[in-house]
Amino acid sequence: MTQPVQPSDFQKRALTLAQQRSAPAFLQTVRQQGLDEFGQIQWPGRKTEMWKYTTLRPVEAFANAGWPADDVAADGKQLASLPELDATRLVFVDGLFDGAASDELPDGVRLFSQADEAARVVLDQYLVKIAKDIDPSRRNLFAALNDAWLTDGVLVYVPKNATLEKPLYVVHLSTAQAAERVANQRLLVVLEQGASADLIEHYLSADDASASFVNTLTEIHVGDNARLSHTRLNLEHEASSHVGAVHINLQRSAVANGFTLAEGGELKRLDYQINHCGEGAELNLNGLYLGRHQQHVDYHTTIEHRVPNCTSQEVFRGIVGDKAKAVFNGRIHIHQDAQKTLAELNNRNLLTSNTAEVDTKPELEIYADDVRCAHGATISQLDETALYYLQSRGIELPQARMMLSYGFINEVLETLPHEGIRTALQKRLRQRFVEEI
Amino acid sequence: MLQIKELVAEIDGKQILNGLNLTIGDGEVHAIMGPNGAGKSTLGNVLTGRDGYEVKSGEVLFNGKNLFDLEIEERAREGMFLAFQYPVEIPGVSNMEFLKASLDARRKHQGLEELSSFDFMKLARETSAKVSLDAAFLKRGVNEGFSGGEKKRNEILQMMLLEPQLCILDETDSGLDIDALQVVANGVNAMRDGKRSFIVVTHYQRLLDYIVPDHVHVLAGGKIVKSGDKELAKELEAKGYGWLEGEVA
Amino acid sequence: MSEQVESLIRKDYAAGFHSAIESDTLPPGLNEDVIRHISAQKEEPQWMLDWRLKAFEAWQQMSEPTWAHVHYPQIDFQSISYYSSPKSMKNRPKSLDEVDPELLETYKKLGIPLHEQEALAGVAVDAVFDSVSVVTTFRKKLSEAGVIFCPISEAIREYPELVQKYLGSVVPQKDNYYAALNSAVFSDGSFVYIPKGVRCPMELSTYFRINELNTGQFERTLIVADEGSHVSYLEGCTAPMRDENQLHAAVVELVALDNAQIKYSTVQNWYPGDKEGKGGIYNFVTKRGIAHTNARISWTQVETGSAVTWKYPSCILKGDNSVGEFYSVALTNNFQQADTGTKMIHLGKNTSSTIIAKGISAGRSNSSYRGLVRINPAAEGARNFTQCDSLLIGDRCGAHTFPYIENRNASAVIEHEATTSKVSDDQMFLCQQRGLDAEKAVSMIVNGFCREVFKELPMEFAVEAGKLLEVSLEGSVG
Repeated sequence: MTQPVQPSDFQKRALTLAQQRSAPAFLQTVRQQGLDEFGQIQWPGRKTEMWKYTTLRPVEAFANAGWPADDVAADGKQLASLPELDATRLVFVDGLFDGAASDELPDGVRLFSQADEAARVVLDQYLVKIAKDIDPSRRNLFAALNDAWLTDGVLVYVPKNATLEKPLYVVHLSTAQAAERVANQRLLVVLEQGASADLIEHYLSADDASASFVNTLTEIHVGDNARLSHTRLNLEHEASSHVGAVHINLQRSAVANGFTLAEGGELKRLDYQINHCGEGAELNLNGLYLGRHQQHVDYHTTIEHRVPNCTSQEVFRGIVGDKAKAVFNGRIHIHQDAQKTLAELNNRNLLTSNTAEVDTKPELEIYADDVRCAHGATISQLDETALYYLQSRGIELPQARMMLSYGFINEVLETLPHEGIRTALQKRLRQRFVEEI
Repeated sequence: MLQIKELVAEIDGKQILNGLNLTIGDGEVHAIMGPNGAGKSTLGNVLTGRDGYEVKSGEVLFNGKNLFDLEIEERAREGMFLAFQYPVEIPGVSNMEFLKASLDARRKHQGLEELSSFDFMKLARETSAKVSLDAAFLKRGVNEGFSGGEKKRNEILQMMLLEPQLCILDETDSGLDIDALQVVANGVNAMRDGKRSFIVVTHYQRLLDYIVPDHVHVLAGGKIVKSGDKELAKELEAKGYGWLEGEVA
Repeated sequence: MSEQVESLIRKDYAAGFHSAIESDTLPPGLNEDVIRHISAQKEEPQWMLDWRLKAFEAWQQMSEPTWAHVHYPQIDFQSISYYSSPKSMKNRPKSLDEVDPELLETYKKLGIPLHEQEALAGVAVDAVFDSVSVVTTFRKKLSEAGVIFCPISEAIREYPELVQKYLGSVVPQKDNYYAALNSAVFSDGSFVYIPKGVRCPMELSTYFRINELNTGQFERTLIVADEGSHVSYLEGCTAPMRDENQLHAAVVELVALDNAQIKYSTVQNWYPGDKEGKGGIYNFVTKRGIAHTNARISWTQVETGSAVTWKYPSCILKGDNSVGEFYSVALTNNFQQADTGTKMIHLGKNTSSTIIAKGISAGRSNSSYRGLVRINPAAEGARNFTQCDSLLIGDRCGAHTFPYIENRNASAVIEHEATTSKVSDDQMFLCQQRGLDAEKAVSMIVNGFCREVFKELPMEFAVEAGKLLEVSLEGSVG
């Protein structure tokens, strides 16, 4: 069934854009492979399983976009409103590094463009190689685009048994000029054996910004006995489009704790692709998504259990109202050798309007018999009994709804390890539900 | 009835039984006591043939037959019964169906006719009344959603139905309140007929107030380190197991 | 113990014999002439031929679906014969006495005696042999109640208004690749009409038998339950053991008008292929029912046969308060593959659906549940509950779950749960310690696993289904 691919206008434009920017010579191979792959991909439509419920029209709207000017700088006002956090802050504006707004880079953290010989060795070993061997039908085509557009990125390298002293807080700001621009963001995190690191990715829009398109790829290697804490916040303006992916390889007895939150936009799509490569690895991933107005939000998670004795626990919750649409697809794939796997996925949704939509698809594909796997998905409303209980205590219905909606989200929010961010998000989300009363 | 000679057994490459010797005569009740991790449960599992337990050396004769020549179900049909410490749930399989299939297998082995459904139901109801288990439990899935006490009573129900020759009670008293303990003990005592033998594995002396043993053995470090009569159990209750440590080495 | 649960000699597929019956079989190949020939053989009116030709035209434009989790070599549709009829059926026998005794013997051997005095009391049977219906029992008794139960070929001639009104109304000609093929070449199957307010006095059943080599079977079943009526229907199917794969592409349409109830049960035991995966039936089936106001459609299936199964008995819950149910046991062994499940489309208010799917995989087989629950914006107060459980026996098989849940109504409540487990060592040990052998233990545990579904089957067949499961599991336990 190999028919010649008719590239979409966006694909053609993307390839042209890739040629317009230069990059360090050692990234050329990666860029070329990305170009080749992205150019060959059949542009997804409704019959493409991975894009069944999500249209790429918002991305196609960027078929005439260009790169941002090189001299963008962060607006101090925006940065001042970021949550309080004892962390090393790295600021990107429309995909470009803003050195002035960033803290000094600690040991082990550097930009690809400033890679020394040792860093290049690491890049060579890991870049594009994380979660590469997942099922081709789950392949995220925008990862190839990220390769094609690659000019720079952040490399985090934590050597054996070392700990990244402070959390690394990577802020990506989309500005007003992003409306006609595309941005590319890339992170590579390598935790060697016994190392640990704490990474926070925060995507937001400037107050005067609206539309934007960001394509992101975060690749994380968690070595034997290493520990990762990863937080990913997608809180850009509702006119924005964001297609992103987090690829993680877990080696022997590695532990990864992930948290993610997305507010809907023109298009918000995030793919988690997690590969259990070493025995005894453990994954905990908690997520929240919220959609209102005409927003669209979409999470796809793919978990590959290749080896025995690993665990994965996933909890995703969403609230969707107005004319918004939320998509969740969670796939757990247990390979034949992955005996004694424990894998669970729980997805709960509240749908609050008849013009909104939730499409969820929890999938299990299992080839090993001695495993414990389960998934559950629900779509419902707020619990009538709980509403009644609150009302019987004198709380008005809208207020009761707000409290219960917030409570539904907050249960997951409580798992966020960073107090500063947690507090800021709790305030933001409470405010969101208050507005909806 | 049962002769255990120099039994050595291991699980996952770890040696648990260490040259254990024990002889059980017809109609005798033997209590096996000992500290946690002494190999008490292992003994019952090895005797009944549970997977994962590897017999390295030694010999066990059950009514003169080499026990290790027999499959799990053959040992059961020969009259060996294990009352589990943690009875497993089998969803959807009704207790009644399970009990009848077990009894049919045992009777067939004995050259007896299978009981008719009518006779079986009657027997099952009578027996469940004896262990104070509501007959409704017969219709439910095997142990499905049973409380700890209900599971243990269901074990005794099975034991009474199958009329085994040798009953091994593996910490049947654990997690039981005093009423349930009495039900279990009454069940056992009712089955003492001078021919049937019992191995009562327990951590506490309490059960032995109700089921009075002929012999008490202390199992430690994978072998019997001390044997005596029922007074030994009381001594253990008073002193604990620590004073026996010298004998383990 | 899991190794133990793996090797044991497989008994033969009991229904695997071939009957030496002379047949008129069309040469392989598919074109308009073949369709005209089938239509002429059945003495069909022009409208029926036109309907078939339209379907054929559509089919030629379509391509085979590839989304299911099954793999099989490309089917050469020109190498299949599309019509085969026992010679003795050329002049339709007027009564059982005129039917070729060899045919009757075949059914007797399959446990389906067709003489009414020997038949299972309370069950009327339509026996379909390759492309034709051999006999339909108890027609007199049924017609006294006003129930029509006859081969669909006969219904097309005798009850054209009913057939024209409902044929293709639930599964349109172009619905999917295999439905379009079936619409073009369907040969026989059953037609049922239950008049208003009538509770069908007997269980109705159709027994499908493929006998000829290289023929496909394309049956078409249409059941119309008029307002306030009730019917329970069961289909069974078998085929000889052959090294070649054979295609079975059926369409079943159910229409439950206001307040009507249809219970449709299937015990599918097509030849599954041998233990090396050679031969067996490709079972590509479209089954769908439409439920009007207060109507109820209940699908129960026990799928143990076929090399490849692709089948999603579905309910369109059009009327307010209508109910859809799907109870399924799919057991695969050796190299069998099953991709089966259901679609529940909620259109009416206060509609509810229940899905209980049990998949059992053994050997090197793969069993997938694939389902869709869709709540449309108008389906105020819709409810769905789905439970999918998979049991794996051995570590060379696969068990998969692909549920699609689409909700566009804020008052809907949807719950989906799926679990995967194996026959645990502890369960096996308990059974064996109580004196049961390994095979009996596994069969008992598996039957327990399926209990929720078996209890939905008509009594007579629940026992059959349990036994079938035992036979199908043979060779998976040691």
